[in-house]
Amino acid sequence: MKKRILALVMAGVMALSLAACGGNSDPKSSNSGTADSDFKVGAIYINKKTDTAGYTYAHHKGITTAMDELGLDPDSQLVIVDEVPEEDDKVAAAVDTLVGEGCDIIFGISFNYLNAMNAKAEEYPEVIFSHATGYLSNETNFNNYFGRIYQARYLTGVAAGLKSLETGNNNVGYVSAFDTEYAETCSGINGFALGVQSVNPDATVYVKELGAWSDEQNEYAFAEELINSYDCGIIAQHCDSAQPQIAAEKAGVFGCGYNSDMTVDAPKAHLTAAVWNWDVYYKTAIETAMTCGGAENFVTAMGGPAYYEGLVKGLVGVSELSDNCAPDTQAYLDAIVDLLATGEWDVFSGVKLSYTKNEDGTVTITQTDSALKTNDGKEIVPAGGKSVEDSVITGTMNYFVEGVKVG
Amino acid sequence: MRVHIVKREDCPLLKKILLIVGAVALALVLGGLVLLAMGVNPLEYYFKMFTMGMVGNKIAYKAAENYLKILVPLILTALGLSLAFKMRFWNIGGEGQFIVGAIAAAAVAFQAGPVLPTPVVLLLMCLAAMVAAGLLGLFVAALKVKFGTNETLLTLMLNYIALYFLTFLGETKADWNFFLSAESARPTFASFTSMVSFPRILLGKFGLNICVIITVLIGVLVYVYLKRTKQGYEIAVVGDSMGTARYAGMKVSAIVLRTVFLSACLIGLAAAFKVGTAGILSASITDDVGWTGIIVAWLAKLSTVGIFLVSALIGVLQYGSTAAAATFASVDSSFADMLQGVILFLVLAADFFTRFRVVIAKKEVERHG
Repeated sequence: MKKRILALVMAGVMALSLAACGGNSDPKSSNSGTADSDFKVGAIYINKKTDTAGYTYAHHKGITTAMDELGLDPDSQLVIVDEVPEEDDKVAAAVDTLVGEGCDIIFGISFNYLNAMNAKAEEYPEVIFSHATGYLSNETNFNNYFGRIYQARYLTGVAAGLKSLETGNNNVGYVSAFDTEYAETCSGINGFALGVQSVNPDATVYVKELGAWSDEQNEYAFAEELINSYDCGIIAQHCDSAQPQIAAEKAGVFGCGYNSDMTVDAPKAHLTAAVWNWDVYYKTAIETAMTCGGAENFVTAMGGPAYYEGLVKGLVGVSELSDNCAPDTQAYLDAIVDLLATGEWDVFSGVKLSYTKNEDGTVTITQTDSALKTNDGKEIVPAGGKSVEDSVITGTMNYFVEGVKVG
Repeated sequence: MRVHIVKREDCPLLKKILLIVGAVALALVLGGLVLLAMGVNPLEYYFKMFTMGMVGNKIAYKAAENYLKILVPLILTALGLSLAFKMRFWNIGGEGQFIVGAIAAAAVAFQAGPVLPTPVVLLLMCLAAMVAAGLLGLFVAALKVKFGTNETLLTLMLNYIALYFLTFLGETKADWNFFLSAESARPTFASFTSMVSFPRILLGKFGLNICVIITVLIGVLVYVYLKRTKQGYEIAVVGDSMGTARYAGMKVSAIVLRTVFLSACLIGLAAAFKVGTAGILSASITDDVGWTGIIVAWLAKLSTVGIFLVSALIGVLQYGSTAAAATFASVDSSFADMLQGVILFLVLAADFFTRFRVVIAKKEVERHG
């Protein structure tokens, strides 16, 4: 009897798979004449799609905002596999699910999705693949995207530097997920430190490394240690939660958040946060995907395999300055954004900025040639030299600039 | 009034099936209420879940392949565990044995992959994984036989040692560590898919992995081994009563050592299949089969055929809930996990009622008694 049941089940499985094959013999080409209402967006998230803060939330908000603006309905046209760990076979299975649901473009938001997405882009040439924070791509249907968050970091650094002048405390703390081993964290720390020093050359940025992207307990504890043992008066951060800001608030010092406006979490401490506006990219990418006339044209239509924009396009920015900021901070930031928009200056160049406050409240920037050096004296960019890429995409920025100390 | 729990002499098959179906139905109703509260039509959700998103799916064959990928390690692990459990040796170390097997298989793939022909490499991977996992099991069995140590605690603790060793391999960039990718600046496991992977038999577009066929064959072998061989009989006798086994002249120690080694070997083979299919190690390579396997073996009442059936159903739950959650904006993977938990919990509860009855004793009975 039992054997018969087993045989039946096996037969059932076989029949299902065969039926599945049969159903597939006439695949519809998803890209020829796709109406907007048929267009499907797929996404693979590292955390939950129902998150209300953090990295995944920022991307999810970006995708849904972009879809709303493009007249697509996220409820029916967005398919998400969430909580996918950075493992090739899990990512591959997630891609299969999304392609099976008929997605036309698939976004993967975590670094280590890159190999699986690369392989799947080849397997499904009729689907567009787009990967955040990675460096792999092809010439047709697979690109990568990231942003010059270091520019936003520089602005928060300026806000922190002005605050440090006001309080007279030159010690600034920075709780970071990682330090030099990830170009992403490393360039963030450097951008922030250069911003701090452009207004307060005597300031030192003390970095403490968590060794994890998210570790709420230590995020708080490390901030506390920077405040107590290093006498830091401002706490910046590159980690998922607002714990460092909450620690700053409790100790009566100030801080700069990341990813979302953390003034909500620490209203008495928070100055401003470096934030992502992912919808800027997602809108461009989805719109291009809908109009480029086939997945094979996507990379060309996007203008290349790597999308890498910053403050000027609005992909990154700073959250609204809180009342805790030193007076005139906004005027400083406005002047820097104007300068960046001209394209003649960038953060990691051999040109340092200094500022003069005008009587009408505006700020004038003076550019001085000065080499960009590591904190152990190595010259990276000669005085007057052009800005180096922060190399997040290829991952080679692995040094700290002058004024950064590992705590 | 007093409530008694009385052991059932025999529960008719129909009643058993009704109880279990009832438990699943109750779980689905509970889950359905949560779904309704989230504004999701439960019927649509469950349809998607039980069909694993295959209906209307233009690459349904992929879904079937991915489903079988989940199934193979689960079945083999549960089969392995059932051997030990039959003997009342509580091997909670499936996770650890799986991990050790996976590391061994990956080591062979990296070292032998570039020099030996693929079939040989695959065979060596399986052997290495079986021996490595088997020895880990044997170690605990030997301690139990020699010193009477508690195998539940030992196998449980070894799980964590194995897991942390794997994490260590995954996070330590060094010249000796060939498990990691040389190109990546960050420590990440290297892939060997391009060198070796288990062959697939193409049936149309559907690729039937050879591991699936071997797993079915092993199921038959285990069934025959347990039901038709002297060694299988010995396992049953030791499980029923060590004293009886000794009295009958059986070498109990040898039987325990042999069976636990075999049990862990099968788990090692599960790991080799998993690694050889994924082509890469990872910190969560086990997919928790060491734990889920215990539930499967238990729900299947250690029956070999039952293990295949229960695994198939749990596989549908696992794969189907991911597929279903993907298409509903408000349903995330936590709901899928919760629903699985509720179903398993209620099925285990129903299982209790197949073995026991609740009797409400009246006062008179009490007085007379």
